[in-house]
Amino acid sequence: MTLLHRLASVVRWITRRNQAERDLADELEAFVDMAAADGERHGATSADARRAALLQVGGLEQAKEQVRWGRHGAWLDEIAQDVRYALRQLRRHPGFSTIAIVTLALGIGVNTAMFSAVDAVLIRPLPYADADRLVMVWDDASRTDGERKFFTTPPEWREWRQSNTVFSDIAATQPGDAALSGSGEPEDLPARKVTGNFWNVLGAKPLLGRVFTEDEDVRGARVVVISHGLWQRRFGAVPEIVGRTILLNDTPYEVIGVMPREFYFMPARDIDVWMPTSFAPGMLLNGWGWHDVHTVARLKPGVSPQQASDAMAALSLRVTTPRLPVARSAVVTPLREEIAGKTYMSLVVLLAAAGVVLLIACVNLANLLLARSALRRREVSVRTAIGAGRARLIRQFLVESLVLAGCGALAGLLLAIPMMWFLETLVPPTMAAVHLTLDWRVLAVSAAIAVAAAVTFGLTPAVRGSRLDVHEGLRDGGRGSAGARGYRFQHSLIVAETALAVVLLTIGGLLPQTFQHLRGLDLGIRSEKVLTLVTPLFRYPDFDRRVAFVNAQLEKIRAIPGVVSAGAISRVPLTVNDQATFYRLPGQSINDGATQVALSRVVTRDYFSTVRAQLRDGRFFDISDQRSDAPAAIVNESFADRHFPGRSPLGAQIKFGNRGPKGYWYTIVGVVKEIRDRGVAEELRPTIYRVHEQGDQTGDVPSGIVVRTAIDPSSMVPAIRQAIWSLDKNQPVTRIQTIDDIVSRQLSVPSQNTVLLGAFATLALLLAAVGLYGVLAYAVTQRTVEIGVRMALGASSRDILLSFSARGLVLTLAGLVIGVGLAVAAARTMGTLFYDFRPDYSAAIALASLTFLAVAFCASMVPALRASRVQPTIALQQE
Amino acid sequence: MEKLDVPQGTLDLMILTILAREPAHGYGISQRLTVLSQDHFRVNPGSLFPSLYRLEQDGKLKAEWRATENNRRAKYYQLTASGKRQLEQHRDRWARISFAVKSVLEGA
Repeated sequence: MTLLHRLASVVRWITRRNQAERDLADELEAFVDMAAADGERHGATSADARRAALLQVGGLEQAKEQVRWGRHGAWLDEIAQDVRYALRQLRRHPGFSTIAIVTLALGIGVNTAMFSAVDAVLIRPLPYADADRLVMVWDDASRTDGERKFFTTPPEWREWRQSNTVFSDIAATQPGDAALSGSGEPEDLPARKVTGNFWNVLGAKPLLGRVFTEDEDVRGARVVVISHGLWQRRFGAVPEIVGRTILLNDTPYEVIGVMPREFYFMPARDIDVWMPTSFAPGMLLNGWGWHDVHTVARLKPGVSPQQASDAMAALSLRVTTPRLPVARSAVVTPLREEIAGKTYMSLVVLLAAAGVVLLIACVNLANLLLARSALRRREVSVRTAIGAGRARLIRQFLVESLVLAGCGALAGLLLAIPMMWFLETLVPPTMAAVHLTLDWRVLAVSAAIAVAAAVTFGLTPAVRGSRLDVHEGLRDGGRGSAGARGYRFQHSLIVAETALAVVLLTIGGLLPQTFQHLRGLDLGIRSEKVLTLVTPLFRYPDFDRRVAFVNAQLEKIRAIPGVVSAGAISRVPLTVNDQATFYRLPGQSINDGATQVALSRVVTRDYFSTVRAQLRDGRFFDISDQRSDAPAAIVNESFADRHFPGRSPLGAQIKFGNRGPKGYWYTIVGVVKEIRDRGVAEELRPTIYRVHEQGDQTGDVPSGIVVRTAIDPSSMVPAIRQAIWSLDKNQPVTRIQTIDDIVSRQLSVPSQNTVLLGAFATLALLLAAVGLYGVLAYAVTQRTVEIGVRMALGASSRDILLSFSARGLVLTLAGLVIGVGLAVAAARTMGTLFYDFRPDYSAAIALASLTFLAVAFCASMVPALRASRVQPTIALQQE
Repeated sequence: MEKLDVPQGTLDLMILTILAREPAHGYGISQRLTVLSQDHFRVNPGSLFPSLYRLEQDGKLKAEWRATENNRRAKYYQLTASGKRQLEQHRDRWARISFAVKSVLEGA
C-alpha cells in the first residue's frame, strides 16, 4: 500500500513537475510572509522583518533544493541531470560524437538485423505443440553407398511405430500428387501424403472442419485437408469448402478441413494438399526398397534426441538384419535442425561475425573515451574539488556512455531495416515465409545490446577517468600525460581489435573463393535459354498411351517458332531429387546389388542434345533404341569410374532390382560427362539413364520437359502451354522456370553469405583502422612536447616518423598473427559453409594480411607524419 | 541562549505529534515546535519541508491549500490514519529510548 502510494507520488512528481514546483515556491513564500508578519508584530520594520525571515529560511533556493533532494524519486532528477549534461557534452564535441554514434550504429544495426533473422529461423516457436520434442527419424544408409540421413521405407516406419520405446508416436509422410482439375485451369498442387496420426504427433489443429483419422487413412478414404493459402486463392475463402468434393488426379476427394495460415511442414512451406498415405498392405510389408518416407516423431517425456537415436539405431538393425542382405541403422535428428537446414550454419556464422563487428566497435569507443577522459582530467579535477564523489563521477561517465549507446541504437535501427529486407530471403524454403520486422523482441534485444555495449566500452574509461589525484590534475592544466600504463592498455585493445578484424577478413576471403568455385562448376549442360516445366502424367497410367502422349507433346512444342529443340526426362536437371535404384553387374551377387545405389533417369532421345550434354564415350540414344530384350543404358562418369576404372564400360551389362531374378539386363552404350542432376552444390552420384520407351519395368515417367529456345525463353511460356493443352486441355503444366533461374536460386544462399560476410569484414577493417588511427593520433597530440624536446635535442623528423609508424606497425603485426591463427581455427569449424569445397587458406590469409597492412599503414602514417612535422619551438612554447 | 538542532530522527515524531492535535501549515508547525520545546529547538524550513514532503509522499500526511486566520493562502497538513499509527509506534519507541538513556545516565 505505502509502496504503491510512494510510486504514485514519484510519478506525480515527474508528470506534474511544474505544479509541484509552484506549490513548493508558494509554500516557502507563505512561510517567509508569515515569519515577516510575526516580526512586524514584534515591532520590527517591514524590511528588517523580511530580511530576518529570509535569514531564518536560510536561502529560498537552498531550501527548495533540499526539499527536491529529500523527496523519493530524487535519483531520477539526478539521472536526468546527468543525461542533460551528457547531451551537452555530445553537442559540444560534434566530431567525437559523430564518430562514436556512427561506430555504434554500425555495430548495433548489424546485430539487430542479424538477431531478427536468427530469431525468426532458430528461436521463434514452430507452429506445432511443444515443437522442441519433435524429431525426424532417418535411415542411416552409410553402410550401403547412400547418405547418412536417407528417406526411410513404409515397412520400416511400420516396425518402428510398433516396437520403439522412445517415442509417444511416429508419423510418416510421402510425396503426393494432386493435380486439380474440373473448374478453371488445371493446376498441379504441391501435395503431401501423411499418415492418420500425423496431426496428433504434431499437435496441429485445423482452422475449419477436421483432419482425417487413422481409420480413414488405413481404409483409403478419399479425403483431403487443404492449406489456408489454397483455400484463399482457389476457393474464395468460403467456409462452405468443408464438405465440398474436388477433382484431384481425376479422382473425387472430399475437402474435410482447412489448416490455419501459419501451418506448414517439411519439406516445403507451400504444400497445399494433405492427403492420406493409405499404404497398400503389400507395400507396408514388403516395400523395403521404397525409400521416399519422411518421418516425424514425438519424444516421450525425459528421452533426449541422442537416447532416441541410439535406441532407434539398435531397433532398426534388429528389424532389418533378418530381412535384408545389408542391415540398416537409423538416426534421429531434431525437427528444428532439419527445418533450418543449411541456413543454420550461415546464420550462426553471420551472427558471430556481427558480434565481432560490435566488439570492435566497443573497443574503438573504449579507446576514444579513454583518450577523451585523459583530456577531461581538468574537468574531473574541478568536479572532484567541489565535492563530487567517485561513485558520482563513475555514474556520470556511465550515463554518458549510455546516452551515446542510445543515440547509436536509434541510428542503428534505421540501418537495420534495409538489412532485414535483405536477410528475409535467407529464410529457408522449408519453413513459412517470414517477414522480418522490428517487433518488441528485436527492439528489446537491440536495447540490451546497447546497454551491454555502453557498459563494455564505458566502464574502463569511467573507472580510470574517475581515479585521479585532484592536485595533479589541476596543476597539469588538463593536458595530462598518460603514463606507460595507459598506453599499454590502449595498445592491447588495438591488438585485440586488429586480430578480430583479421579473422573476419580471412573468412570473408574464403567465401568469395567458394562462391567463385560454385559459379564456375561445370554443370554438364549449357544452361542459357533453356526452359523447364513439369507435366505430371497421372492421366496416362498406361505405358503405351503415355509414350505416345509424351512424344506427341514434344512434337507440338518443337513446331513452335523459336524453339530449337525439346526433350523430356523423369526429373528436371539440377533439382534435388534422389530418385535412385539398386543395380548389379554380371558376376555380382544379390548382396552386392543390395549395397549399390545409382540415380535413375528415363529420357527421350533428344534430351541430351537439347541440354547440350557432352559425350565421353560411345553414343547417345538414337532411333535404333526401340523396345527390345537388350535395352540400352547410358551411364555418367561417376558410374563408369566406380566400376570400370581405366577401361571402357561400353558393352557391359547392368541389371536393376536386387530382389530375386526379376528384372531386365541393360547394355551400356554410352558414357555422358557429369551432369549436376542433384543441384549445383550437391555431390555427384553414379547415374543411369535409359530411354523412356524401354523403361516400362520401373515406374519412371518422363514428366520433366526441357525446351531450348532461340529467343528469351520466358516469352515462349504461353505458346508452350497452348501446345500441350491443344493435345489435352486437362493436362497440368507446372513449375515453369529456366535453368538459369534454378542455378541462381541455388546460388542465392552462398552469394548472400558472401556478400554479408564481406560487408561485415569490410566494416571490421574500417573500424579497426579508425581505432588504430585514433590511438596514434591521440598519442601524437599528447606527446607534442616530448617530440619537441627530442627534436630540440637533435632527433630528425625521420627518426620521429619512424618511431611513430613503427609503433603502429608492431601493433598491427601482433594483431595479424593472432588473427590469422584464430581465423584458421574458426574456418575449420564452418565446413558446410564451403559446400565441400576446400578453399585456399594461404590466398585468403595473404590477401587479408596485405589489405590489413596497407590500411594500417595509411592509418598510422597520417599521425606519424604529423608528429614528424612538429616544430620544436612551437611545441615547447605550449609548456 | 543557543538554540538546539532537532536530534536526528526525532523531527518526524515531533511533526506527527504537533499535527495530531490539529492541522497546521509549515510556519505554524515550526512556531509550535519552538513554543512546545520551550524555545530550545529551532527548525529551519530546509529541514522541515523535506520531512513534510517525505511524510506526505509516504502517505502519513495529507495536505490541502486553505486560508489562514489572516486570510492568506497556506498549505495545511493533517495526519492520515497511517500517520496516526506511525505516531503511536514512534511514541512508544521514543518512550523506551528516553527511559533507557535516562537509566544509563543516572545509573552510571
